[in-house]
Amino acid sequence: MIGLKGTLNVIDNSGALLIECVNVLKQKVNNGWGGVGDEIVCVVKRARPVATSTGSTVVKVRRGDVRRAVIVRTKKSVRRPDGRIVSFDDNAAVLLNNKREMLGTRIAGVVSADLRMKGWGKIVSLAPKVI
Amino acid sequence: MSLSLLRRFARSMSTAAPSYPFSKLAVIPPAPATPPPAPLLKGKGLMAHLSDTLPSPDKLKLLKTYFSKRHPLRILPGSVLSVTMGHAPTQFTGVLLSVRRRGIDTSILLRNVVNRLGVEMQVFVASPHVKDIKILQRAGGGTGQGKVGKRMRRAKLFYLRDSPEKMSAISAGLRG
Repeated sequence: MIGLKGTLNVIDNSGALLIECVNVLKQKVNNGWGGVGDEIVCVVKRARPVATSTGSTVVKVRRGDVRRAVIVRTKKSVRRPDGRIVSFDDNAAVLLNNKREMLGTRIAGVVSADLRMKGWGKIVSLAPKVI
Repeated sequence: MSLSLLRRFARSMSTAAPSYPFSKLAVIPPAPATPPPAPLLKGKGLMAHLSDTLPSPDKLKLLKTYFSKRHPLRILPGSVLSVTMGHAPTQFTGVLLSVRRRGIDTSILLRNVVNRLGVEMQVFVASPHVKDIKILQRAGGGTGQGKVGKRMRRAKLFYLRDSPEKMSAISAGLRG
């Protein structure tokens, strides 16, 4: 249940560390709360220092950037179709561009398997562990 | 007579369970050998009867031994269990934080630390999707050595969410 002002950890290598939710997109029936697999608009609150070298091809985000992200882990429990209830110890997201493509190239950490059901198969395939 | 006619005749004479006309997936259990007693037909003792008949026999055995309140073989909170399920992720191992006893709705809360992140999963034990529950380390009683962990003094171990060192102590006991 991520809403306005909710903070999430970023688990890809786009450079951001902590983002704050500003808006939950395209949902009619969630009362303004985002869950796993929902797209949000966010502000980057903390980012890794951007290296001045032009070696990498990954877009590095800066502090204060307004980007989109998809929620991949929530502390709020989610029900699976077979009745299980899963919750994680923190809220995490992966940054996206406006075309629903990932900004980073790698994901570090666990992601929720509900992403597959919501259509984020690419993120699930990149994640080292899916629960 | 043709073979198909014979077969149809035999099928109509069989004592198979009646089919439910509105759903192919509905399972109609076969009628019990002895007819239900008169008070049950009136509705007395219905919930107790349902709690004995609704789960399948192996699930019922699971509920009545491992997840009962007083059975000598019951699983105490603080044990380490490994649950095998039908859908992904098929296997989840974790410390048993709590047993929520509600008859057929009995569920267990397992906590594990994966890649330095805590994950909790609540599994309903009478679900047909739950294939197997293995006990890796029981909690409680005695010296707390070998396959037996420390006895927890609480029924619900939610305090483990805030102390990763106690979680690692339990897992160290498992590995040692």
